[in-house]
Amino acid sequence: MKKMLKVFLMLSMICLSGCWSSIELNELAIVTAMGIDKTEDGYLVSVQVLNSSELAGDAKSGRTEVVTFRKSGATIYEAIRSLSTDIPRRLYVAHLREVVFGEEMAREGIAKTLDVLSRQKELRSDFYMTVAKGSTAYDTLNVQTALEKIPANKVYDSLENSEKGWAPTRTVTLDELVSSIVSKGSEAMLTGIYVYGDPESGSNVTNAQNISPKSGLRLDYIGVFKKDKLVGWLNRSDSKGVSYITDHVKSTVENIPCEGEQISVNTTSSKTKIKGKMEKGNPKIDINVTSEGGIGEVECTIDLTKPEKIEELNKRYEKTIEAKIEGAIKTLQEKYQSDIFGFGEEIHRTDPKAWKRLEGNWEQEFANLDVNVTVKAKIRNLGTISESFQKEIEE
Amino acid sequence: MKSRVPIPLRKLIEDKQSVKDKKQQEDLNESANPNSSKTKNQNPVQAQNRSKDTKNHQTKLISSDLQYNLDHIKKTLGNSSDIVIRDFQAGENGEIKLGIVYTDGLTDSASIQDFILNTLMVEIRNSDLNVAVLNPSDCFEMIKSHTLPVGGIVEITDFQKLFNHVLSGDTMLLMDGTPKGMALGSRDWADRGVQEPSSQTVVRGPKDGFTETLRTNTALIRRRIKDPNLWLETKQIGEKTQTDVAIMYLKGVANDKTVSELQSRINRINIDAILESGYIEELIQDEVYTPFPTVYNTERPDAVAAAILEGRIAILVDGTPFVLIVPALMVHFFQSSEDYYQRADIATLIRVLRYLSFFLALLTPSLYIAVSTFHQEMLPTPLLISLASQREGVPFPAFVEAVLMEVVFEILREAGVRMPRAIGSSISIVGALVIGQAAVEAGFVSATMVIIVSLTAICSFVFPSNSMAMAFRMLRFLFMILAATFGLYGIILGLIVMVLHLNSLRSFGLPYLAPNAPFILQDQKDNIIRLPHWSLLKRPRLIGKNNTDRGDVSPPKPPR
Repeated sequence: MKKMLKVFLMLSMICLSGCWSSIELNELAIVTAMGIDKTEDGYLVSVQVLNSSELAGDAKSGRTEVVTFRKSGATIYEAIRSLSTDIPRRLYVAHLREVVFGEEMAREGIAKTLDVLSRQKELRSDFYMTVAKGSTAYDTLNVQTALEKIPANKVYDSLENSEKGWAPTRTVTLDELVSSIVSKGSEAMLTGIYVYGDPESGSNVTNAQNISPKSGLRLDYIGVFKKDKLVGWLNRSDSKGVSYITDHVKSTVENIPCEGEQISVNTTSSKTKIKGKMEKGNPKIDINVTSEGGIGEVECTIDLTKPEKIEELNKRYEKTIEAKIEGAIKTLQEKYQSDIFGFGEEIHRTDPKAWKRLEGNWEQEFANLDVNVTVKAKIRNLGTISESFQKEIEE
Repeated sequence: MKSRVPIPLRKLIEDKQSVKDKKQQEDLNESANPNSSKTKNQNPVQAQNRSKDTKNHQTKLISSDLQYNLDHIKKTLGNSSDIVIRDFQAGENGEIKLGIVYTDGLTDSASIQDFILNTLMVEIRNSDLNVAVLNPSDCFEMIKSHTLPVGGIVEITDFQKLFNHVLSGDTMLLMDGTPKGMALGSRDWADRGVQEPSSQTVVRGPKDGFTETLRTNTALIRRRIKDPNLWLETKQIGEKTQTDVAIMYLKGVANDKTVSELQSRINRINIDAILESGYIEELIQDEVYTPFPTVYNTERPDAVAAAILEGRIAILVDGTPFVLIVPALMVHFFQSSEDYYQRADIATLIRVLRYLSFFLALLTPSLYIAVSTFHQEMLPTPLLISLASQREGVPFPAFVEAVLMEVVFEILREAGVRMPRAIGSSISIVGALVIGQAAVEAGFVSATMVIIVSLTAICSFVFPSNSMAMAFRMLRFLFMILAATFGLYGIILGLIVMVLHLNSLRSFGLPYLAPNAPFILQDQKDNIIRLPHWSLLKRPRLIGKNNTDRGDVSPPKPPR
């Protein structure tokens, strides 16, 4: 009897488990990118599916590496399911690399679309969210990229690399996006993506066969959200300022004026500390940025061997960063009144009681927020040559 | 396998059988027993099995009539041509009638010539021995104690023993007028000789291996352990084969309980033939229904010596170079004797490698099946793409593909073992080219599967012990079925059941997973990690219970 019970328990252990359905790799349509656009009565969902035999192995037939399908439906879920009439295989979204919202869609609000993305058990939450700047999401999924055979991978890697080495773009995952939309003390931002060149030739497989591709995908600008609606775009300088404030600068390039010419400084490390406090009932934010960099390019005749010249450069370096930060704050306070920096969260952390009072009217409070920026920047190295030979040329 | 028992022996055995049957009817014959057991106490090695033999067989005693004895031998052995029977006369005037019987081919004919025939026929004549005054039994004693320059002499009174000795290669000396015979040690037969073991090779370490001759094997061990406490107990098992089975252990170090347990298990064996130590292994193991070996076997004398020194017991079987060692724990199957001959650091790394390849050999195909059919999200995207592109156009599901390839590999492997050595290379060409390359090019199987099968194949050859690798070979298919039905969940369930099963195993009373479960900190020095010899000064706790101390050496220090 006891043995029977044991056997029964063992069997039920097997039967009660969730993973019954197996599916072979060659029955899957691996979706790497998904675009969501608004239609009049619902959504237009486009998916970019891999043609894996063209991507790896040696049985290539010259077809495209990725195929984009689109279908509209009243809900996103319906649209995705109805895609099965077009695609002979099961859509498999676990390896999704990017989700693109059309700009029109983003301006109308993306909150409703995020539900289906969060609810699906198959989705891994490591893909990045972007907004198609000035176009529909479908257009951005319709470009063959050079070098990287999978356009979604190009976007994914470009986002990561440009965040690391260039700064004015941001990688935003689904979780981060949802939490910043839901939070009252911070607003969402997404990097913009757009097609440059001729979109017509971009969708052709021959696009990647040109040495200089006729068309391609480019990431730039940060889209500012208010709640779940896109309100506008930041320019490159402001975008970089935002990255400084939110401590997302790992490495970037700053141009410092010098005798009417430029010196490029490679910021190698940057650390930002934000401190919120209440002063006489008013919220106040202190931003402390500590940056270090090396000289990357010198166009003027400055004598870099002299310490006082370096000191002077340090000052200008600090000024440059400070200007970007202040510019970003100004734009967001005056133009968009959107707290994408999460200053509200910071006030919430330091003074929860005061936050309760401010919370209701944070948009207004943010616009009038007193922000104090302190930048400490140092040039640490000069590169392999110290003095520029510009001087000798001019003499 | 060539049987060493001459065919006419069947007749002898039939005779014996009829005698046995008769015995069951008339129990009065029992009285003859003390008689026979008295005769052979000179040889402690053989004293043991006598009681059993006398119990089983009512045997005919040797008569004092030489001619009758020789006729009986001839008749019983069916006049077999390899039995040499020679009668002759000795003494100054040939007044002593003698006969010798031996099996040609199992004896050293030179020593029979030199030491037995020459002594009895020529030298005895020249001596001043006055045989005339002696009665036959005194004469017999005289020959035994005074004349024959032969090492091993056993007195025999019954025909059962007589045939035993003759067919084992001893020379039987019979004398007219005496109801006894003398078995003179003259065993010598064609032997493969001590060669390098073929199943367990090492780069560094002794290259000698056991042979098919028990005596050579015991000598190989004795040569390594010159300790009076190294005891050897032999008995014959197998009603027809009468195979010598010896147990060898270090008295005082080996656990007495294990020794007596082993003795009782061996004594329990009642079978007609023992042709290889595998027979013994299956008859004495603790758990019958398990793929895992609980008895270790090796061809290496150094491995046996090391095991004996740890307090384990070796079982040597005549006719096979494979010596059994008990108790055998799981960790022993992951240890090679070379681990102790090379530096401790590399030995440790290699052991880690063996454990890694254990898991690879067991789980690679099943993990591939599970991940590629259930858990595609677990793979990095580029890997998924390359796997998916290879599966493009493969007509079978991953599971069928995997089973197919694994079975093909097992077939290739079996073919490689069985086929004549001369055509070995052709099999490997066919295997590698046809199965490996052509199948992939034709699109029947994916290249990944070929890689996975090769990986499991290579990993399963890493183990120093073939018997453990066999266990994985079988379990691998089980895990593949589990993976195909339940994915990783099934694999984990399978692993849990496997570990539970391993925990339930015992080898001669010792937990199979020791020293890992139960965890014995003291024995970790020689588990996955092998510490240098100066820190291996304690025997494994469970095995060398009696005497765990191995010495007292401090780590070497350079002179100041």
